[in-house]
Amino acid sequence: MASAATTTDILSPLMTRIAAGEREALRQLYQATSAKLFGVCLRILSDREESEDVLQDVYVTIWRRADRFDGARASVMTWVSTIARNRAIDRLRARGPMAYAEPVEELEIPDGADSAETLLAAADDRDRLHGCMSELDDRTQSVIRTAFFEGVTYEALAKRMDAPLGTVKSWIRRGLAKLKGCLQS
Amino acid sequence: MSEAPDLSEAEAFAAEHALGVLNARERAEAEARMAREPAFAADVEAWRARLGPMIDSIEPVPAPAGLWTRIERMLPANDNGAIMNKLRFWRNSAMGGFALAAASLAGVMVQVAQPPTVVERQVPVQPTGQLLNASVVSQEGRAQPLFVAAYDPDRKALIVTSLLPEGSDRDKVHELWLIAGQDNPKSLGLVESGKAKVIALPTELMGKMSEGAALAVSEEPPGGSKNPAGPSGPVIGVGKLSKL
Repeated sequence: MASAATTTDILSPLMTRIAAGEREALRQLYQATSAKLFGVCLRILSDREESEDVLQDVYVTIWRRADRFDGARASVMTWVSTIARNRAIDRLRARGPMAYAEPVEELEIPDGADSAETLLAAADDRDRLHGCMSELDDRTQSVIRTAFFEGVTYEALAKRMDAPLGTVKSWIRRGLAKLKGCLQS
Repeated sequence: MSEAPDLSEAEAFAAEHALGVLNARERAEAEARMAREPAFAADVEAWRARLGPMIDSIEPVPAPAGLWTRIERMLPANDNGAIMNKLRFWRNSAMGGFALAAASLAGVMVQVAQPPTVVERQVPVQPTGQLLNASVVSQEGRAQPLFVAAYDPDRKALIVTSLLPEGSDRDKVHELWLIAGQDNPKSLGLVESGKAKVIALPTELMGKMSEGAALAVSEEPPGGSKNPAGPSGPVIGVGKLSKL
């Protein structure tokens, strides 16, 4: 995203060193990002032990894939967070279809307080996305968040919300189109 | 908010993949499409970047002490450098043209206009392994990929797309190799420039398609490498298989 390219990403030099196979660089990245990523795993899995397993897997993945990081497309924090989210969702899905076909309480996303390790670039992107999300109606916001944080399929979302699949699909597609328009403006 | 124009069908599908609402079959379809359509892959990446900041609203929680030590023990020793060394060892060292070949190829990338022939699955089955993909890039910095590949365990196939200009392989051919563990590189056949190809994998090779294994492409005389142990010509690119 544009803001990632224009703001200096202090973690970016670490990625080059990790891609070259330098373990010390990965350790530094771990120090700077592990609390964030552990939070992501816990948020998705709600289970400490599973979150620890996934977090290990995430850093091994970063180690293997560091050569694919492209600073022009995303900040390091966004890139590693996406890996953590994907791995946690994989684990959630591995629990079986029942695990996420069950209705759950409405999601409450706590607003993250700015911490020392929150990068300026990430904060800009977050604020913009947050602003645009809040322009969507509550129901659309809620389905988009549920899908994003739990990897819930259209089928499971429709079941949970007791709404026809086509309707849920059109809520999400319209919501995403609005989101894109808002982020571009 | 004013009404936003609808997303095109392709972009909506890319956005749904980035969001995570697709089921297993649709996810496999999206991954395969990312491998053969760079424009679609770019849409998915753009949507991942748009939605990614949602994660930033999550509160950090200190990871348990001792976890780093566990991670460090799990770090595989192999990396791209080690894979290249291995390939150099196997290939005929007299060629020495790797850098030259890579430099002449790295700058060019074309959109694949020709959709590949995709065999439709007859019976829906659960995936038996994980979807993996790889970008085969030259080792000269971070250029555009020369080849992209997706492994679909459901279809028991590897879908490979050459991003090199069509017809650029008149005097030489490009051979695809699987580098897994300590085995000799295993030829997966030739890939025509600018074309996509679905390579059916026998069961013994499917077992070797795992994270950390790598794909490599070498330049060979017409008909492919005559060396039974691996590539005979210069290796122009390498890429590790990984999930996403």
